Amino acid sequence: MKEIEGMTPRERIRNAMDFKEVDLVPWAESFYVETLIKLFSEGLPAHKMAVIEWEMLGNGNFLVNWPKLLGFDPYSYFGCMSLADCTVPVDIGPIPRFKQRKILENAKYQEYIMETGARSRRIKKGGKEVSWYSMPLFYEFPVKDKKSWEQYKVRLNPEDPRRYPKDWEKDGYLHIFDEYQDGPTMLGITGFYGFGAELMGIPNFNLAFYRDPELIEDMISHWEYFTIESIREAVETFKDRVDYVFWWEDMAEKHGPNISPKLYKTFLLSHYKRVAGFLNKNKIYRIMMDSDGNTQPILDLVVEAGITGHWPLEVNSGMDVRTLRKRYGKKLFLVGNLDKREIAKGGEAMQKEIDSKLPFMKETGGYVAGLDHLVHVEFTLEKFREYADYLKGKLVIQ
Amino acid sequence: MRTEISEVSALEDILDKIAHTLGNLENSSSLKKFISQALKKKVPILEILEKGLRKGLDEVGRRYEAGEYFLSELLFGASMMEEAMKILAPQLRAQKLERKGQIVLGTVRGDIHDIGKNIFKMFAEGAGFEIHDLGVDVNPEDFVRTAIEKNPDVLGLSALLTTTTPEMKIVIDDLQKAGIRGKVKVLLGGNAVTNQFGEEIGADAVALDAVQGVDFCKEWTR
Repeated sequence: MKEIEGMTPRERIRNAMDFKEVDLVPWAESFYVETLIKLFSEGLPAHKMAVIEWEMLGNGNFLVNWPKLLGFDPYSYFGCMSLADCTVPVDIGPIPRFKQRKILENAKYQEYIMETGARSRRIKKGGKEVSWYSMPLFYEFPVKDKKSWEQYKVRLNPEDPRRYPKDWEKDGYLHIFDEYQDGPTMLGITGFYGFGAELMGIPNFNLAFYRDPELIEDMISHWEYFTIESIREAVETFKDRVDYVFWWEDMAEKHGPNISPKLYKTFLLSHYKRVAGFLNKNKIYRIMMDSDGNTQPILDLVVEAGITGHWPLEVNSGMDVRTLRKRYGKKLFLVGNLDKREIAKGGEAMQKEIDSKLPFMKETGGYVAGLDHLVHVEFTLEKFREYADYLKGKLVIQ
Repeated sequence: MRTEISEVSALEDILDKIAHTLGNLENSSSLKKFISQALKKKVPILEILEKGLRKGLDEVGRRYEAGEYFLSELLFGASMMEEAMKILAPQLRAQKLERKGQIVLGTVRGDIHDIGKNIFKMFAEGAGFEIHDLGVDVNPEDFVRTAIEKNPDVLGLSALLTTTTPEMKIVIDDLQKAGIRGKVKVLLGGNAVTNQFGEEIGADAVALDAVQGVDFCKEWTR
C-alpha cells in the first residue's frame, strides 16, 4: 500500500483497529490460489509478483547462495495488504503430523490422508486433472469418540519443542520483527468450535454437544490448555508487538451459527475468556474472529468472550458493517463486508457497493476495507483491477 | 364411554409426549421409552409417525426457522428422528406406508460437498418423503435419467461452490430437452445459490436451508 507521510502500514492498521485516526482506510484482501492462477492466465504479470529469496542452496547443504522462488505477492502488486503478512512462528498443528499421502485413485477422484489426519477426496476435472485449489471433501475424520480423541491428544502436546522454529531465540526474533517488518504482525490461533469441527467433522462435532458432552468438555478444556501453553512463550516475548490475533473459527452458515447461543455459553464461553484474558494480560487487545456465515445470534457472547474484531462479514449471510457498527459501536472493529458478488460485476454495481458502505465506515472508524471473503475465482483480472483502482481512490481520509 | 374417553386421552398423552420430547430435544432415551410405550398400547404406527414424531420434527424445524434452534439442534433433532424410525422399522415394513412423495437428490457435477444435502435428506425422510440420493459430483445426464426412471415430485440440486452453480442450469435445460421439465419441481439448495440465481435459471424454488426445502416439498405434494 502506498505510504502516506508519517504512517506505516503497521501503524495504520493498528490505529484503524483501535478506532484511532488514520490517514487512509487500510485495505486488506486474501486470494484463493485458484483465483491467482486464473488471473495469471488473463495476463497478470508473474515476473512482477514473484517472491525470490537468495538462500544457501539445499537449506544449507551447500555453501552457495542460490535463488529460491517462495511464491507470489499479489498484495504489493494490487496495493492492498495481506492480513497474514507476518505471522508469529508457533506451530499449533498435530505433532507429529500425519504424513500426507495419496491412498486411492480412480477415474473420478484422488483420495488423500491429510496432515491433520482427515481423509479427503479431490475431484478430477474431465477425468484427468486434479483440482488442487478448490476445497476438497473431507469424508473421514481422525476423532470419532473418546478413544480416538485420547489417541489424537498425544499429538497436541504444547511442550513439544518443535512448536517453535529451530532458530527460535527471543531477542533475535524481536530484532528481526522490529527491523524488517512494516506490515502488521499476526498471531494465528484456532478457536474452540473450529478445532473440533476440523477434527470430527461438522455433523459429528455438532451432535457430540448433545450425544457426548463429556467428550466435548474434555476436548475444549484441552484445547484451552494447549492454546495458551503453545503460544505462551511467543506472547510473553512479543506482547503488544503482536498487532492482532487472528482467531479462526468458521462457526456459522447462512442461516446462523452452527451452534446455539445456549451451547456456546455452556461449553465455550469460559474457555474463550481465559484465552482472551491471557492475551489481554500481555497487552494484546486486538483479537479478531474469522467466521464466515451469519454470526449475529451469538455476537453478544462473542464480544463478551473477549473478541474485539470480526472478518469477513459475508453479505450473502446477512452481515452488514453498518448494522454491526450501530449495534456494537467501538466494541468491534470490522474487516471486509464488501459484497464479492457485486464487486466482481464491476462498473456501477461495484461502485454502488463501495459507496454504500465506505463513507459511513470512514466516519465511524474501526474499519479495514476488503471483500467479504477471499477473492474468488469468478473475478476477472479486469474487474479486480477496476475494483482496486476505484477503492484506492476512496480510501483517503479528507 | 368414560373408558373410551380415557383411552383416547391416554393415546393423545403418549403422542404428545413423543412430539414434545422430540420438539424440545429432551433426550433420545425418553423418546425411545415413549415410542415403546405407544407400541405396547397398540397405538397405530401412522399415529405415532404423524401425531408424534413428525409433529415433533416439525417443531424442531419451526424453531430453527424462528432462530431458536441452530444447526446443532437441527442435526440432533434429525438424529433423534432417525433413531425413532429404526425402532419403528419392522412395523413400517409390514405396513408398507404410503410416502408423501418422491425426491431425487444430489450434489451437482464438479462439487463433492454434502453436509447440507444430507441434512435436507434426513429431514425430508423424517417428513415422509422417499429419497433417491444420487450422491455427490452427479452428472446432468444421471439427474435426467433418474428423473425419467423414478418420476419424482421433486429434483433437488445442491452446490456449495459458486463455480459449480452453472451445472444447475445445465440440468434444468436437459430436463427441458428431455420433455420432462413440467413434470418435476426443481429445488436448489446450498451455500452458493440465491433466490435471484434460481429465478434466472428457471428453478421452481431455492431453499435457503434444509427446513425451508422440506417445506417447499410438502407444499408441492399436498
